[in-house]
Amino acid sequence: MLAPLRIAVRPMRPVAAALGSRILRFNSTVAQANSLNPSAVPFKFSDSVTVRYTREHEWLASHPDGTAFVGITKYAADALGDATFVEVPEVGDSVQVGDSIGSVESVKSASEIYTPVDGEILEANDELTSNPALINSDPLGEGWIAKLKVTDPDQLLDAELFDIDAYVKFLQEES
Amino acid sequence: MMMRSCRRYSTGVEALIKTPLYSLHVEHGATLVPYAGFAMPVLYKGQSHIESHNWTRSKVGIFDVSHMLQHRVKGNSAAEFLQKITPSDLKALEPFTSTLSVLLNDQGGVIDDCIITKHDENEFYIVTNAGCRDKDTAFIKEEISQFGNASHENFEGTLLAIQGPQAAETLQKFTKLDLTKLYFGNSAFAKLEGFTNDAIHIARSGYTGEDGFELSIPVDHEGLEFTKALLELEQIKPIGLAARDSLRLEAGMCLYGHELNEQTTPVESSLNWLIAKSRRTPETAGFNGSDRILSQIQNPKSVSFKRVGIQSKGPSPREGNKIYSYEEPDKQIGVVCSGSPSPTLGGNVGQAFIHKPHQKSGTKILIEIRNKKREAHVAKLPFVAPKFYKPE
Repeated sequence: MLAPLRIAVRPMRPVAAALGSRILRFNSTVAQANSLNPSAVPFKFSDSVTVRYTREHEWLASHPDGTAFVGITKYAADALGDATFVEVPEVGDSVQVGDSIGSVESVKSASEIYTPVDGEILEANDELTSNPALINSDPLGEGWIAKLKVTDPDQLLDAELFDIDAYVKFLQEES
Repeated sequence: MMMRSCRRYSTGVEALIKTPLYSLHVEHGATLVPYAGFAMPVLYKGQSHIESHNWTRSKVGIFDVSHMLQHRVKGNSAAEFLQKITPSDLKALEPFTSTLSVLLNDQGGVIDDCIITKHDENEFYIVTNAGCRDKDTAFIKEEISQFGNASHENFEGTLLAIQGPQAAETLQKFTKLDLTKLYFGNSAFAKLEGFTNDAIHIARSGYTGEDGFELSIPVDHEGLEFTKALLELEQIKPIGLAARDSLRLEAGMCLYGHELNEQTTPVESSLNWLIAKSRRTPETAGFNGSDRILSQIQNPKSVSFKRVGIQSKGPSPREGNKIYSYEEPDKQIGVVCSGSPSPTLGGNVGQAFIHKPHQKSGTKILIEIRNKKREAHVAKLPFVAPKFYKPE
């Protein structure tokens, strides 16, 4: 089966193109791996999704009605290894930027997940409780962690939040 | 999310000491991390942590433990010296047998744990932890200066652990030594046919709870070539530090700095068996900290906390998590030493220091993880029964 096309793989900017085809290939592979799965709810929730990334490797998929989904990136899921347990937030909780909304555990470590925006938890992905491996197999799709109501849409414009190109560049600088 | 593990590990590997097997780690796609000043593999490409853990329990895993420190102690006073710094009965130990032991400070706290192998009445081979290299050598140097007829030297080389149910049949292909007669805790010198010029030290031991061996190969290129040959075998995979920790935890074994430290006696770490029965009177003891240790053995009621096993479901207990009484949730009764999900059993396993009277297996406890108190219980150690090769 052909892999579904993933969104947000924008054309490379000239400056990146100048770095040679190897980096280009690296960039587009990494960008694709860290883009939303178009057949899962975080993407399909509306017909206009905006995806942003944090330095801590969370993604935020926001929709025009103020609903947003939060999860961790493919890069983060790979670095963690087999997820053995995922703790999801409680519905109804009010959270502020930087608050922990859950955790992903592997055998060797536990990592907190922080919300990139203020909001109210509308839903938690309880599927992860019984099937933590979703975090590894589909971190940007069925492995979403929380669905929230964004209380301050201006925060989505925060310069600290990356688009996919900036996130890929950030990953390159990190490694 | 905080990516502690990968960030900390991503820099500085170049400045680290490389073991003789370094090039093999690189070749097998190891994620190398700084560990006690060495570049050590934590995972290898193509195997997740859980897969490498399960591989060792079902086939054979090999572990580069060359970063650990090897010692030779010789001389007419060698045993006497070692019996001052450890509570073991080394005079009674048979030649070519090993024992787990502890280096003790004057208060009976543990400077390091170690394996001592007797080669002769006057010659002992010791392996200590990589993380304690500097303090161990300083301590030994200081202590041995009081003994006229004992010498100490360190040596390096390849130290390779071969662990798993197929370890013996695999190693047997490389040596004429009859491994069916080498039991857990025994060792021998034998050649690795086609790989070593001289006989090397083969000890039946390990840190996973599986049957297995630890090989000390002093010539670097011989160690490298032998390990390379092992890795060509289908049943063998290289295993990193990640699985090494989860394997030893399931086997209920202590890790220095977690279950053992300089403030805690072996009795508090539930290692009473390390204090030789023959050395439990004031006349026969004579080891560092023996007053305190013997008094704890004789008055168990005076020992306020000890190491126990813990088990839980849900988020895993981790080092430093506080433990509270199930009946009085505001009362702290202990602290977690190590914990992780158990690939073999499911759920989580761990070890903790817990106060009386909460030490009995089955006792319900609460462990504070990410600001929430979660139910767990005290459990018997080890979690996974050891498969050591012992005489019938």
